[in-house]
Amino acid sequence: MSKDNFLEVRGLKKYFDADRPSLRFASREARYIHAVDGVDFNLRRSEVIALVGESGCGKSTLALLLMGLEEPTSGTILFEGRDITHLNDSERKDLRRKIQMVFQDPYESLNPTQTIEEIINEPLVVHGIGSSKSERDERVKKAMEDSGLKPAEVYLKRFPHELSGGQRQRVVIAAALVLEPEILLADEPVSMLDVSIRAEIINLLAELRITRQIAVIFITHDLGSVGFFADRVAVMYLGRIVEIGTMLEVLEKTEHPYTKALISVIPVPNPRLRRERIILKGETPNPIDVPAGCRFHPRCPMVMSTCKASDPPFVTLSKTHQAACLLLVK
Amino acid sequence: MEAQIIKIEAAPRFHEFWRTFRKNHMGLVGLVMLAIVIFVAIFAPILSPYDPSSTHNVTTSDVYNAPSAAHWLGTDDAGQDVLTNFIFGARVSLIIGFFAAFISLIIGGVFGIVAGFYGGRTEAVLMRFTDIMLVIPDMPLMMVVIALTKPSILNIIIVIGALYWTTTARMVRSQTLAVKSRKFVLRARAIGSGKGHIIRHHILPLVLPILVVQAVLVVSSAVLAESTLSFLGLGDPTALSWGQMLNYAFGRGAMSTGAWWALVVPGFGIVWVVLGLTLLGQGLEQVLNPRLDTHHLMPGRPVVRNEAGKGVEISNEQNPLLDVQNLSVNYVNNGKPPARAVENISFTLKEGELVGLVGESGCGKTTLMLALLRLLPAAGQIVNGNVFFHDRDLTTLTDDEINAVRWKDISIVFQGAMNALNPVRTVGEQIAEAITKHLPGFPRDQRLQERVIELLDLVGIAADHRDHYPHQYSGGMRQRAMIAMALACNPQVIIADEPTTALDVMIQAQILELLDSLRKKLGLAIIFVTHDLGVVAEMCDRVLVMYGGVTAEYADVDIIYNGARHPYTQELLKAFPDLTKPKKKLSSIPGYPPRLDALPIGCRFAPRCLRAIERCHKEQPLMHKLGDAHVASCHLLEATK
Repeated sequence: MSKDNFLEVRGLKKYFDADRPSLRFASREARYIHAVDGVDFNLRRSEVIALVGESGCGKSTLALLLMGLEEPTSGTILFEGRDITHLNDSERKDLRRKIQMVFQDPYESLNPTQTIEEIINEPLVVHGIGSSKSERDERVKKAMEDSGLKPAEVYLKRFPHELSGGQRQRVVIAAALVLEPEILLADEPVSMLDVSIRAEIINLLAELRITRQIAVIFITHDLGSVGFFADRVAVMYLGRIVEIGTMLEVLEKTEHPYTKALISVIPVPNPRLRRERIILKGETPNPIDVPAGCRFHPRCPMVMSTCKASDPPFVTLSKTHQAACLLLVK
Repeated sequence: MEAQIIKIEAAPRFHEFWRTFRKNHMGLVGLVMLAIVIFVAIFAPILSPYDPSSTHNVTTSDVYNAPSAAHWLGTDDAGQDVLTNFIFGARVSLIIGFFAAFISLIIGGVFGIVAGFYGGRTEAVLMRFTDIMLVIPDMPLMMVVIALTKPSILNIIIVIGALYWTTTARMVRSQTLAVKSRKFVLRARAIGSGKGHIIRHHILPLVLPILVVQAVLVVSSAVLAESTLSFLGLGDPTALSWGQMLNYAFGRGAMSTGAWWALVVPGFGIVWVVLGLTLLGQGLEQVLNPRLDTHHLMPGRPVVRNEAGKGVEISNEQNPLLDVQNLSVNYVNNGKPPARAVENISFTLKEGELVGLVGESGCGKTTLMLALLRLLPAAGQIVNGNVFFHDRDLTTLTDDEINAVRWKDISIVFQGAMNALNPVRTVGEQIAEAITKHLPGFPRDQRLQERVIELLDLVGIAADHRDHYPHQYSGGMRQRAMIAMALACNPQVIIADEPTTALDVMIQAQILELLDSLRKKLGLAIIFVTHDLGVVAEMCDRVLVMYGGVTAEYADVDIIYNGARHPYTQELLKAFPDLTKPKKKLSSIPGYPPRLDALPIGCRFAPRCLRAIERCHKEQPLMHKLGDAHVASCHLLEATK
């Protein structure tokens, strides 16, 4: 097995019904929300990939598809060469030990009636891991200390509301780590946290990929927050990846006009470097009526007449760098 | 009642629950009332003066005897002691009440959880059935069922239990729906938990408080229902409940013979139990749902003053628009010493200037802003300092005078625009309301509509969106609408409290550009509250860095980013990602901001400061002037002044 096909995503699509079926009149055509509309990428072992895009670009739906919490409409997901797109409950349950997720809001993603110990122990109970209580306790403790909840004893009997936002996010990470996953999907894990704490959580994830060889898919709207620790960056717009490349390629040899705009509006913490921002007009269009041609053309500052007609193909710019824009087609 | 959803934030552990419940007088009274009845019921054989089953030696002269030394509450139609029957009647009534409630809670709980959790067709079938049960009048149905079966205690319990579960089912269902949509349930699925596990460990613990409250109320309904049935002659003839006592007394001439005691005593029992249970239910609900008591309509506390400010004079500005001097705010803390949320903050704001107010959550930023307009929550109180606006001290104005300043001179854009807009009125109406409320003389004709359109245009919303509701707006547009409302009365100062925190970077850039253009176009002065240092660097002229309620550093924006002197400012900058230096490793500030009710004695940042010396832990640092427009409060700066 080559290192490249650890996790492979091919032509993944997810359409949601835009209307409730019972409300649809017979004459009216079915309308769909094209949440994820043909996504391809692969993830290597212990690689960090950042999925960047505005809200409504489909990045969170993509995460749910990868987790098997939503059924894809079409496309395939391969994990270590095995097709995991559609699995039954017991196959899915085994796979969950390998792929775990960290959610955006640490205030919402912990059950307020459980103690920290119960929360982190729960995955072990669900999967029947550990033959004795002491073995499970050992694993819980290790996961907590790896997540920076040291010493573990201090936190075991507490409840989520007694912890700060950063500590709660560490609890969520510990509850994922206790299963010893190989992939961690992090959906906006720091956007609800204070800036001073964000670095802690990002540094923790960066550490885990080294100490535990975990691959991380980091979903965010803020490229600035992941810039320094992602190996590769994939920029999503309206259900598709529009540019993908190594972090430096995307940041410094930016080719797609959308990526350029997105990078230009990231605040730089130095008033001497105030620069021209490319502020796009309006917001991401409704994914029910995806614009014809290039889906970015209505907001693109560099739009050409051909953009309205043809959907741009992926143009290979280097071995690792690709972008979908007609300006790059020679 | 129907859609009431209890949002449980903290785990209701018993001793914690008891500590809060003890303070709830209503609930406590109810509990005591109920406890007395339960005590009486349990110890009935010991407490009652006579044996209720003895029927011998009764003569006609014993019937309906008035209260006397032998019979404290008189005798009834059968010459029995009313007090004895009353005491034993408590047993029957409570047994029926509790068991019937138990059955109804099981049925209602299962229906509610299954319907709420599984949704779809299951829910449709279960809830339609519940609706049908709800519209059938239960009393006539109960009478028919009891009349057709043998009226025994067991039958009565089953019938009441089988009919009184509909409200429980509906409440449990809505709570289940609310819990189900919370993220921790999704996380439980991601872990691999099955449905049964999720229901047991995640849904049930959060539905339980509702069931407890509901249980108390159902017990009281069941006691009442049983009394009604018995009164109508459908009670168990072998068991003398309070309802049965009423039935016998009423049916056998207690009214005509003037034997009030035979009616009043059992009636009192029923009222006592129902009242006790209702009070207990109310009390439990208040404890389990503490939000019932907090709202934004409480009046503010008056301004008080103590010692004079001890900061250095900062403002050497010529005619600032807003001049805040040594402002301090305390939160009154029941019995404990007050929390010093904001202490000795001074800054100035000139026309057209943009001042950034930066700090972590819990540093008192929002408190400071609310204090400027005297909008503090009920526990907050300005204890020192002045806020000069055009040479008028806002802290000395009367409530009416400060009301005139709010919105017309200084307005606020709040964080989280969805919560700040009224969901059932169009955005245009809400903007029009903001105008007419603050400018009562404004003509309410075409000119008002023109003004609304003008304001929407100013913030970049097309006029045809005027008649849309907030939910039809995107997050960015809602924030624009909030800004339009803030501009309604042409204020000179706008306080923007984290206006872009929940927004995407592109939308954030749009809102920042809008604020910047408004400032240039209208000469607005803006106070921008944020924890995002990048945003501050992009737009602000001056920056006030707050930590634990005090000023850490206050300077021109360039000094903050290129020559910060306070260790907190420096650490904050290191924690902020900078795309121009992509390989820079971010550092975080270890620890957390101090709790405002447990502030350190010395410098408030000392416990987290890497450069703290002994003095920092003992003595609060003074403000040091480091340049024309640069002050910082740190002991380390004393020597280098």
